[in-house]
Amino acid sequence: MSSRFRASVLAFAMAALTLGACDREEHHDRAKPLGETVPAGQSPDTIWPGGSSPSPLDPRAKLYDNNAPAIAEGQQLFSQMNCVGCHSHGGGGMGPALMDDEWRYGGRIDQIAASIAEGRPNGMPAWKTKLTSDQIWKLAAYVRSLSGLPSKDAVSSRSEGMSSGTPQTLVSHGNIKNSDTAEQ
Amino acid sequence: MRRVHTALLTIIAVVGCAGLQACKKSEPASTTAPIQTAPLPNGAHAIPAAAASPADDGNWVMPGKDYAGTRYSALNQITPANVSKLALSFTFSTATTKGYEAPPLVVNGTMYLITPYPNLLYALDLTKPGAPTKWVFKPKPLAASQGVACCDVVNRGAVYDAGKIFFNTLDGQTFAVDANTGQQVWSTQLGDIQKGETITMAPLVAGGKVLVGDSGGEMGVRGWIAALDEGSGKLAWRAFNTGPDKDVLIGPRFKPFYPMDQGKDLGVKTWPPDAWKIGGGTVWGWLSYDPETKLIYYGVGNPGPWNPDQRPGANKWTTGVFARDINTGEAVWYYQTTPHDLFDHDDINEIILADIPWGNGRRPVMFRPARAGFFYVQDRRTGQVLSAAPYGFVNAYKGVDLKTGEIIPNDDKNPKQGRVTRDICPAAPGLKDWNPSAFSPQTGLVYIPHNNLCMDFGAMEANYIAGTPYVGADVKMYAGPGGNRGAFTAWDPLNRRKVWEIKEDLPVWSPALATAGGLVFYGTMDGWFKAVDARTGKLLWQFKAGSGIIGQPISYRGPDGRQYIAVVAGVGGWAGAVVVGKMDTRDPTGALGFANAVKDLPMKTTAGGMLYVFTLPR
Amino acid sequence: MTIRSIVRVGLAPLLLGACQYQHYQSDFGAAAVEDRQFLALFWIFMGVCGFMYALVIVFLIAGVVRSRRAADANVVETGRHHQSSPLMRSTLIGWTALIGVGLAGLAIASFFADRSMARAATGEKLSITVTGNQWWWDVSYDSDDASKTMRTANELHLPVGVPTRIILKSADVIHSFWVPSLNGKQDLIPGRQNDITIVPRKIGIFRGQCAEFCGTQHARMSLVVIVEPYRDFIQWWDHQLQPAPAPTTPLTLAGYQYVTSGACGACHNIGGTPASGTVGPDLTHLASRRSLAAGTMPMSEGNLYGWVEDPQSLKPGVKMPTIGLEPDQLHAVVAYLETLK
Repeated sequence: MSSRFRASVLAFAMAALTLGACDREEHHDRAKPLGETVPAGQSPDTIWPGGSSPSPLDPRAKLYDNNAPAIAEGQQLFSQMNCVGCHSHGGGGMGPALMDDEWRYGGRIDQIAASIAEGRPNGMPAWKTKLTSDQIWKLAAYVRSLSGLPSKDAVSSRSEGMSSGTPQTLVSHGNIKNSDTAEQ
Repeated sequence: MRRVHTALLTIIAVVGCAGLQACKKSEPASTTAPIQTAPLPNGAHAIPAAAASPADDGNWVMPGKDYAGTRYSALNQITPANVSKLALSFTFSTATTKGYEAPPLVVNGTMYLITPYPNLLYALDLTKPGAPTKWVFKPKPLAASQGVACCDVVNRGAVYDAGKIFFNTLDGQTFAVDANTGQQVWSTQLGDIQKGETITMAPLVAGGKVLVGDSGGEMGVRGWIAALDEGSGKLAWRAFNTGPDKDVLIGPRFKPFYPMDQGKDLGVKTWPPDAWKIGGGTVWGWLSYDPETKLIYYGVGNPGPWNPDQRPGANKWTTGVFARDINTGEAVWYYQTTPHDLFDHDDINEIILADIPWGNGRRPVMFRPARAGFFYVQDRRTGQVLSAAPYGFVNAYKGVDLKTGEIIPNDDKNPKQGRVTRDICPAAPGLKDWNPSAFSPQTGLVYIPHNNLCMDFGAMEANYIAGTPYVGADVKMYAGPGGNRGAFTAWDPLNRRKVWEIKEDLPVWSPALATAGGLVFYGTMDGWFKAVDARTGKLLWQFKAGSGIIGQPISYRGPDGRQYIAVVAGVGGWAGAVVVGKMDTRDPTGALGFANAVKDLPMKTTAGGMLYVFTLPR
Repeated sequence: MTIRSIVRVGLAPLLLGACQYQHYQSDFGAAAVEDRQFLALFWIFMGVCGFMYALVIVFLIAGVVRSRRAADANVVETGRHHQSSPLMRSTLIGWTALIGVGLAGLAIASFFADRSMARAATGEKLSITVTGNQWWWDVSYDSDDASKTMRTANELHLPVGVPTRIILKSADVIHSFWVPSLNGKQDLIPGRQNDITIVPRKIGIFRGQCAEFCGTQHARMSLVVIVEPYRDFIQWWDHQLQPAPAPTTPLTLAGYQYVTSGACGACHNIGGTPASGTVGPDLTHLASRRSLAAGTMPMSEGNLYGWVEDPQSLKPGVKMPTIGLEPDQLHAVVAYLETLK
């Protein structure tokens, strides 16, 4: 093998590797066609009588979970749809805190999307008539990022709050724990 | 030579900079506007308005004790000499753990307790040992109403009148319940939670009318006050606080004192088109009533949204005080405390009706320790401001111009959309929030439990969606000058000065009680229930309750003739949301900014809802 | 192919192009005082620089021609100082003086142009706030009387001859306001307030464009500026203050109900109806505007249908979602929107 040939093979291999590593995330702008609904999630703390098991994760979850454009759009929707008014920037207020590890109605992305779409007792409004399912999934992706659940390369590395709190990439959070059962 | 030169220059530079810094740091003290009162005879006190404050019968039938709102008990068995022996008589768990802001009511041997959501009404029999429950009334308000209540699901009290107990529920209903049997007499739906309306205030019952106002200034509701017929519950009249004159019940009798409040349809003209329909102006605080003139006095809440750039104009008739005729609701006068409010300085604080020495006689006035930070003394016939002195540290305003009645804003502290304005004092809850002060005719002093908080305010565009918050602001609060977040001040309303002050670490969110025995009672957010000497402020007795105290303490004469002090301890409200809402304090903007101010509260207290009744041992 | 024909062919499209944009979206539009100042300065610079350029070319050609002819021209030899001829010296001095005078002239012209543009900026009678969003323009007409403030989107009406101050803000990223016929560019920077002043002099319709890359649809963020007589302008403003007309037919009523109870009201404001959202353009008088989606398409029934049904295919990435309306709903919604004149 001549050195020239080796060099060009090496160059070709490196180019292939580099191009292969460029896995651009899908930026989902369009909702699926008519009739799409957000699935009813399951509370993580449920008895499944007779030995049946909970259904698997909704296939749309991987389109939005850990997807940086989805989380960024969800962040914009979070303040535009007044989620900030009740949940602040994750700390809570009128509504429960979203940045901690307690999830009343489940912390999986499809469970969060279901909570947003259907509303929940004790005051969470139902958004399915006001937002498309695409928007609701993006919001769910952002809500998950408030408690540090998506991977660090998907979340914003800059804290946009007025008080310059710690960015999401630097705060460590635990895994999802069981829902808080003490609420009335 | 060169080195000496440089050294000299450096020293001069450093000293110069330090000097400049010192100049910048010292805030100019807020000035008191010039006063126009007649010279006062020495030693003369203010006294409560006579018609509005009848002789004390040992009961406690309305949250303010009387229509003048004195929160003063004429019972004098417990005195500074014996209060150190004050001991627990009995307790009662209300089975709720949200913020408890209401007073217990005592009517001839029965005690009534109204809880926060789910608004249970208990009747306890004081004639039997241990005060067993006579009955419980459960109004069953809608659970979804918890989602549109801005500042915890509180209830500020019930009222007893003519054999019935009247109270409001979170989902916007007013109930009348028979005081003996606990059966419902009537209920009326006034508020709509789908629009974001709730009701948290204690009604005022007088002249055959039950007066009710709505909450929701942070939810883009339209504020109103309504009168229901006491016997049937039917709506007698409703006056809105924004919109055209016919909705605000402004007619020929309306005579505002200052030119800034005069004009036609100002409730529309001082707003961008349609903004008044979602402009707030709620009535969630205290009402006072003068039986002589048949006028009710109440303050109006903040305009919405908090972001002022979205609502240019004076935003009438929000953040001001109305005087209305109780029978027809027509407005008699109005004074706007903060036109085009910038800082959520609702004007709903208590209005204490008093008569002050004036010339050779007395002048009928009202005392108002307002959220904006000034203690207003106003003539209650016309609304004229006689004095407005700051009762704490204020840098958001420079004073009140008594000639025009207008508050003088500090333009440096103007919030601008897209930017953060820092170090605004008082913060959004004001120098004092809803928790009312007490007025003692014995000492002539007003006992003000209040805050010492400053804030950073970042304004952004708010989007209106009915049933969701309409705020447009990120807020972060922290302690004001001195480092203490609260204070309990004894204020001389005539000489406009502090007589004594107790600094508290946490904001003082509890109402005050004054007694003829010479004592003043209040609670702290970490659960200390304190008795202090009314003249000197010396702490004479304290008791650590199971939860922070934000509820009205009362004093009553029990069936055995002894004087009792009662209070319900259950932390919460806006200040206690960190505990009650189990918030995450890593987000400083939580609870509209309060989370940053009381990050340490969860370590100092926990949620509760326990009644404590104290008396002297036999 | 002669040089002439090449020149003709090359220049013609340029000239045609200039004619096409002469009055619509052209830096040469000279429709406002600012633009006229700019144009005057432009021609001064063109003249002076063109003259100097021509001189340089002449000397260059002369130098090339002369060196070809004479072998021993005035060449400077290396290593030896060569006494220059008096002609050369005076030419050099003259050339330097010419440059000095030219530059000074340009500086003075620039100074005066700038000063007169600034002077025109005093005494504004009209104040408009334009907030840049991705990817549309939020236009708000300010007034001392709060009840006369008015909000519209993507279209600016200006009264001719009236100094107008436009306050520029941004809701998200940096944009730039540019109406070539009227003014130069000025950025809209989040967290900051910029302003420009325009004194329009010509009545007509002009086109503006966002001039700072602001995201995937930066190219489709344009606005229409209509300069009209003062009376027409006041009439237009009063009309914009009116609430939306109530629906009169069953179809428009169905459209009204869908718009106010469905997703539309969460983002859009239609005056006089429960729809009071602020994050999207104000739709109260949508049908009276000349273009849709910030200049993406002209306003027409067909374009309304397309936009309402699927904005993501016309302007991919725009913040308005593709909801997926049923055909009946779409007919009703578009019928209602068309009544919003």
